[in-house]
Amino acid sequence: MKLIDIALKDMLRSFRSLFAVGMMIVAPLLITGLIYFAFGGIRSEQPDIATIHVGLVNADVPSADVPSANVPFNLGQMLVDVFTDAGVADLMTARVYPDVATARAALERQEIDVAVLIPTGLSAAVLSGEPSPNTAVVILHDPALSLAPQVVGSMVTSLLDGVAGGRIAIQVIQERHAARGLALAPAQISTLIGQYQTWYTDFLHTLFYNPTEAALRLVAPGVDETAVPMSQILGATMAGQMIFFAFYTAAYSMTSILREQEEGTLARLFTTPTDRTIILGGKFLAVFLTVILQGAALMLFARLAFGIRWGRADSVLLALVAQVIAAAGLGVLLIALVKNSRQAGPVLGGGLTALGMLGGLFTVGIQGMPAFFDVAALFTPHGWVLKGWRLALAAQPPDALLLPFFIAVAMGAVMFVLGAVLFRRRFA
Amino acid sequence: MTLAIEMQNLHKRFGDLHAVQGVSLTVQAGEILSLLGPNGAGKSTIISMLSGLLQPTEGDALVMGHSIRREPEAAKACLGVVPQDIALYPDLSARENLLFWGKMYGLRGAALKKRVDEVLEIIGLVDRQKGRVDKFSGGMKRRVNIAAALLHKPQVVIMDEPTVGIDPQSRRHILDNVKELNRQGMTVLYTTHYMEEAAELSDHIAIMDHGRVIAYGTHDELIRLVGEQTRIDLTLNVDAGRVLTAWQQVEGVSRASAQDGLVTVLVDDSNRVLPRLFEAATAAGARITGVDIREPNLEAVFLHLTGRALRD
Repeated sequence: MKLIDIALKDMLRSFRSLFAVGMMIVAPLLITGLIYFAFGGIRSEQPDIATIHVGLVNADVPSADVPSANVPFNLGQMLVDVFTDAGVADLMTARVYPDVATARAALERQEIDVAVLIPTGLSAAVLSGEPSPNTAVVILHDPALSLAPQVVGSMVTSLLDGVAGGRIAIQVIQERHAARGLALAPAQISTLIGQYQTWYTDFLHTLFYNPTEAALRLVAPGVDETAVPMSQILGATMAGQMIFFAFYTAAYSMTSILREQEEGTLARLFTTPTDRTIILGGKFLAVFLTVILQGAALMLFARLAFGIRWGRADSVLLALVAQVIAAAGLGVLLIALVKNSRQAGPVLGGGLTALGMLGGLFTVGIQGMPAFFDVAALFTPHGWVLKGWRLALAAQPPDALLLPFFIAVAMGAVMFVLGAVLFRRRFA
Repeated sequence: MTLAIEMQNLHKRFGDLHAVQGVSLTVQAGEILSLLGPNGAGKSTIISMLSGLLQPTEGDALVMGHSIRREPEAAKACLGVVPQDIALYPDLSARENLLFWGKMYGLRGAALKKRVDEVLEIIGLVDRQKGRVDKFSGGMKRRVNIAAALLHKPQVVIMDEPTVGIDPQSRRHILDNVKELNRQGMTVLYTTHYMEEAAELSDHIAIMDHGRVIAYGTHDELIRLVGEQTRIDLTLNVDAGRVLTAWQQVEGVSRASAQDGLVTVLVDDSNRVLPRLFEAATAAGARITGVDIREPNLEAVFLHLTGRALRD
């Protein structure tokens, strides 16, 4: 309990200091903001589209006519899923209506901009390859709107094309097998359908989150095809600033032990019936908690201010944990090596800036940097933490972050143990 | 009577410096013992050993029966330590400081809040409890500094020169607090280099110099060591060296010393000796420009025992 009391007291002091809060929260946002506005803001590459309100009526019934598939094919539900996917939540809202009349009424009341009417038998018609006017998806829209119907129509077409492509692919495979006198087993067909669906879903996901890595690339004439989109530069820049100031914050928080030594409160703590391990533990806990809070606050503010998508929650958590442990470890070690708070100033200013530069935190948005910097970054915890954030920003799953995560955590843990041993010796 | 503190041949060395040299003292429960001595006498080193900041090089001490070597946590729990310098968090309020220090002594919840209220009342800072400590005057800081050591109602309070550098009003307040705490039953170990404080507060006084206790007793017992001699401080219009030797030969002078232009003389009867001092000065071609006669006090005791003034 005393350990927590000490940590909370340290945090209260930190967050009460305008200088500390400025360096923890304001400075990284300010620097990223300057870059944001210097490039005209992220809006320059994304038109200002109002949120599209979509109504869905799904009358389709799953078709059991998939050639030898084990599960019924439900294209109507797939369409509904596309519009209710979290990935498009920023662009549109989707609401399911029980029938066409209700959806029309909602459209007339302008509660929705577009209504997507999915007919009965859509799944069966698409599978058979013999569509009819009765099985066409109908899109109703407010006549005053032009962009919203196009967006919705494009999404519907994209999915239907994908499904049609899958059906054709299966047919081709079957015909090639038949030409050789072979027949596909039902299980093989199911597997092929599954593989195609997985590929197509991943393709759409990559196209949305990370278009430069997608198989399909749309390039406007006169635009550098290799240029990284502004949103990615901004995300990486914010990550670089967040990492730099996280390391700064950790070291700054740890200087509280030096300040307490100079203020006489550390000696006074030692006169209370409190074990010195608990006192040190409280100090360390304050560092961890402060860096966690700082990271969470920066991510939230950056999301709200600059619209930065940090990636999947589980990957973001890994990147944040790596950042916290690496920053706390280096902070504890650095401050254990200095004698007083006056010495700590140059260490925080010079040492952390130099390490941050080597780690690539300040050149994160610059392309074509010499290879030396990539190699140098591997020797700093900053570089590995940045790698983790880059992957998280690219919406990579947690397993893609494991290598940078473990290396950053290992570096942080080793430095933390060394620092803790030095502090133990100093205050034994 | 119960012993609150028992120092057993305490030694502390810092390299070649032997800061405390075999101090053995006892403090009875419920009394005020003052350690009196100049800077560097070893008072604060003894305090640091008793409060667990320093390990004795040799010897041991018992606080309410708990060895500071073998049971340091138990010994600390009986102690309230008021450090010489202000040891508070300047960016926290007085109340926040007291709440934190109370927790460090194991107090929690309603009991802690109640005790903080009581202590704020004792030090007279109820109205300023929400003010940040760095906005306080030196005297107010001193009072909060003391309050932080009283929260857990310690059996023994150690105060290391708590009145250094403060205004007379705050000093008076602190001395009254010390007496009140003692009246409530707390044992007080008080260090100071102000003899007036030691004289006013103490049941017993230990005079220290160069890491040793050179005298111990009640105020009256110590005064008797100098034989009721009167101290005369004289200032001259010339260098003191010109008359010092002559004055040392004057009948009735038991000791004469000079420091910073001031000559201090110990005499049996100032009325009889003072005219002789004027005569000797005139004979040496010096003129006395100031005379201050002081009745026997602890400073005279220190001068008598060490040949140096206590303020040095």
